[in-house]
Amino acid sequence: MFKTIANLRIGEKAFIEKLCLDNIPLKLLEMGCLPGIEVELIQKAPMHDPLYIKVNGSHIAIRRETAEKITIVY
Amino acid sequence: MVSNKVVKVALIGNPNTGKTSLFNQLTGLKQKVGNYPGITVEKKQGICKLNETVKAEVTDLPGTYSINPTSLDETLVLDTLLNENNSSFPDVIVVVVEIENIKRNLLLFTQIKDLKIPTILVINMVDQMKRKGIDIDVKQLEAKLNTKIVLASARKKIGIEELKTAILEYEKLDITSIGKITNRIDKEYFTRLKNAFKEFSLYKSWLLITQNIEFDFLNENQKKLVLKYREDLDCIKRYQHKETILRYQIINEVLKDTLKVDKSKASDLRGILDRVLTHRVFGYIIFAAILLFIFQGIFSWATYPMDLIDSAFANLSSWVKTVLPKGTFTNLIAEGVIPGIGGILIFIPQIAILFTFISILEETGYMSRVVFLMDKIMRKFGMSGKSVIPLISGTACAIPAIMASRNISSWKERLITILVIPFTTCSARLPVYAILIALIIPDKRVLGFLNLQGLTMMVLYLLGFTAAILSAILLHNVLEIKSKSLFVIEMPNYKIPSIKNIFHEVVEKTKAFIFGAGKIILAISIILWFLASNGPSKFKNAEQFITSKEEVKDLSKVAIQKKIASYKLEHSYIGYMGKSIEPVIEPMGYDWKIGIALISSFAAREVFVGALATIYNVDSDENVGTIKERMAAEVNPETGKKRFDFPTGISLMLFYAFAMQCVGTLAIVKRETNSWKWPILQLVGMGLLAYISAVIAFNIFS
Amino acid sequence: MQDILVYIALGLAIGFLVKKYFFKSKKKRKCDSDCGC
Repeated sequence: MFKTIANLRIGEKAFIEKLCLDNIPLKLLEMGCLPGIEVELIQKAPMHDPLYIKVNGSHIAIRRETAEKITIVY
Repeated sequence: MVSNKVVKVALIGNPNTGKTSLFNQLTGLKQKVGNYPGITVEKKQGICKLNETVKAEVTDLPGTYSINPTSLDETLVLDTLLNENNSSFPDVIVVVVEIENIKRNLLLFTQIKDLKIPTILVINMVDQMKRKGIDIDVKQLEAKLNTKIVLASARKKIGIEELKTAILEYEKLDITSIGKITNRIDKEYFTRLKNAFKEFSLYKSWLLITQNIEFDFLNENQKKLVLKYREDLDCIKRYQHKETILRYQIINEVLKDTLKVDKSKASDLRGILDRVLTHRVFGYIIFAAILLFIFQGIFSWATYPMDLIDSAFANLSSWVKTVLPKGTFTNLIAEGVIPGIGGILIFIPQIAILFTFISILEETGYMSRVVFLMDKIMRKFGMSGKSVIPLISGTACAIPAIMASRNISSWKERLITILVIPFTTCSARLPVYAILIALIIPDKRVLGFLNLQGLTMMVLYLLGFTAAILSAILLHNVLEIKSKSLFVIEMPNYKIPSIKNIFHEVVEKTKAFIFGAGKIILAISIILWFLASNGPSKFKNAEQFITSKEEVKDLSKVAIQKKIASYKLEHSYIGYMGKSIEPVIEPMGYDWKIGIALISSFAAREVFVGALATIYNVDSDENVGTIKERMAAEVNPETGKKRFDFPTGISLMLFYAFAMQCVGTLAIVKRETNSWKWPILQLVGMGLLAYISAVIAFNIFS
Repeated sequence: MQDILVYIALGLAIGFLVKKYFFKSKKKRKCDSDCGC
């Protein structure tokens, strides 16, 4: 069972493992979500959607459906 | 002879880099906002004096994270930079980055550099460097990036002169790209590409084939070639991914030795504030409190200036009548044009105040948090977290609100937002509500402290929002539009709002209202005045007709004049129009006179009150109290009861709450959605809802 | 004289509205799906 950004707990850090080419839009990479980069969960909105994360120095918020497509390793 | 050279400058950068502040510093008040031909995106340009003989024409391009566009705004950027025939095609590009997010900001910079257009890098917000423990080796960075770097702080006015000098000397800039990216992706593929499009730089050719856009400036052969290359979608996708990864690798390499961050020095203001402002409970409470404060503010602060404008125009109207020679044109000016313009300007206080608040919240960075908090809920209604701001703006005026929905990347979410915004209670509805409430709701207190009239107003506001939400849900389930776009929003650091920026922003939004709605309102006011002041034969013979009648022999001059006036109204063009729709509006409890007021409301909703004043023959410089008394006295000839009784009043309130009466809004919706389909849907859908609810209400309460 | 001015104003008003609503914009970019995504 692999873990994704959606599984992170608030304040927890991890490294992005992989982004699946087909269903991850280019924009996400351009915003700094790259394989091997550290990601930290800063806050979750109610129902875990959207997720406020810090990645590659950027502070951004993404929807859960997007977060679920980015696998992580600790 | 003094030569006046103009250097074309394109200003580009991520959102939240202070690009707007920089633009404002360079161009001051010499800005103008126009439209790109055929598209709704606004073109922001300004003039900046570089020295005695040279000016810069600066185009502030929409903020973007990458040259690869994901919205209409960003497509604009691409066209400006690729199309040499574009009037804004730059001689030099200024890329703005800011110290905190410099890594991500530089992605755009490396892309721009590859276009082989002279490029200057501005690092903004340098006044914050010490506080954040950031140190940059500018000389080394300049060498590694092959560019000229200007350290600036738009707010503190640092670096502006250096930037102007750099722009002046743009021809000296080095246009070689950084790092041989294309070689590292697939040398063979890119060599082929380069040979296919010999006329363009390699990166430009790559951009031409990777976007899903038809570029008009290409010739037939080039277009065919582009299509051929686009066939291999998989390959393009893979290579774009690789390109982005490689760019970031280069950026990391470059920054490794040139950027030093002392983490201990940086204060984590953002973290502290965010813990509270995005908290799952407190976040919402705080947001609700802020909204309440804003609405309170608008109501209490806007009233005084609005009254001032109202009386000013009323006085102007009567003054004009005394000063200009008597005649129809004078009447047109005094009774049509001046009230028309006054009717537009009177909303400026409300609109300006609301947009000032919104602008402050955006400038501080708080708005992103609002989007974060509201996204999930809004999605249930088929909209996006980014729809919150347009919806709130709709309570001032729908026109700038609809324009504000442009940053919603999903077309379906954006469309639904645009379609339901007109349900929110805009400023123009308030005068209508105010007079109706004054007429039919008793001025009593309920539960000891709640004012019944105020409560009714609140209920009407809630009604507007509820209608918006419910119709959004309906549209969400009914509309079959495929929407697969990425939701990403940056959570910028909190900043103290810049008054200059807020000023410019509010002026822009207010202008949008004035010119978007204003011209239409004025044109319709002129037409309506004409229709009310002219008519076929019966109208023309009114005086003769009335004075010859037996029963008027004993009446006073004033009373006779009033009879003539009301006969004239009944037989004017607009009177006939009112009469012809009477059978349709009767089920709602209205008569032909109200019908006239309804028709007039198509210019602007608030014209309802003025139209009634005209109809009941009240002079325009008398206050609402008189109109109210006159309306209260009006009697329905058939039933003998009051015309503006409770059922009719409620029916009118509902009608104005739901009906799409604003021609200005229809025009904007047509422009923003590029089709007649949607404004017509709004007109018909909202009209039906208004009609049905008014009829039901009238019958229930009768 | 005044009447002439009124009719001119009326003509301008009508002309303006007609132009605004029936003038076809040159570039018809149909946004039926997400733009350029």
